[in-house]
Amino acid sequence: MGLLYLAALLVSLTGMVVLDRRFRLYFWADARRAAVVSVVGVVFFVVWDLFGIGLGIFFRGETAFMTGLQVAPELPLEELFFLALLVYVTMNLYGAFGRLLVPAVTKRGVGA
Amino acid sequence: MTYWAINAFFLAAVALVALAAVVKARSVRTAADPRRSDTGPRWSTVGLAAIALLITTAVFDNVMIGIGLVAYNPDLISGAFVGIAPLEDFAYAIAAVVLLPSLWHLLPARGSRPSTGTGPSTGTGPSTGTRPSTGSGTAGAPGPSTDSGTAGGPRA
Repeated sequence: MGLLYLAALLVSLTGMVVLDRRFRLYFWADARRAAVVSVVGVVFFVVWDLFGIGLGIFFRGETAFMTGLQVAPELPLEELFFLALLVYVTMNLYGAFGRLLVPAVTKRGVGA
Repeated sequence: MTYWAINAFFLAAVALVALAAVVKARSVRTAADPRRSDTGPRWSTVGLAAIALLITTAVFDNVMIGIGLVAYNPDLISGAFVGIAPLEDFAYAIAAVVLLPSLWHLLPARGSRPSTGTGPSTGTGPSTGTRPSTGSGTAGAPGPSTDSGTAGGPRA
């Protein structure tokens, strides 16, 4: 039973939480909205995954790096954490780049 | 059905949500100050996030496939690759970077009553523009600002 991939995902998610907390990017900007966006996002991508699996487009590799636990046929437990990481990275990036661009926008707005 | 066909279906759903966010932002903008720029998804920000996300996806996906976490039916993918990652996989990154910010802006912001517009990214504050920065701000912000350390990772 390999824990390597799951551990890597949890470490990465922890990093996202730390950045979020430090810079107030996502949950620390608006926890209620972040919760809704995260749940809807993960569900959306899980459904996408299930279609891909159901249509035989992609499937779980046989590897020693995963626990082997599956939440659905060919859908490893790790995929849920991967999708959560995808959502968190995306919204942290959006929050961080938004912060960088805001001063320029504000300056233009005041100057105009 | 090919990988691209299923991607087209889900990307179309993403486009509809983005459209809804744009329409909502436009109606808010015409109702209030038309110069407000913080009511809908900022597409320049989405573009920058997309570049970063596509690069990280290229790295991560190649590693995932390289060590055998996932495999693909060669008959159902286009055969276009970035390294060993099917080009189709990047649709997830594109969908995320459009869908999630759109959802964010469709949802009402914290403290939707326009009292003291704090909120770093989506100030639904009064239309009198930005307030002058008084010190280090965030006086009454309900955000968790405890500095008492030992905030370990999420308990799985």
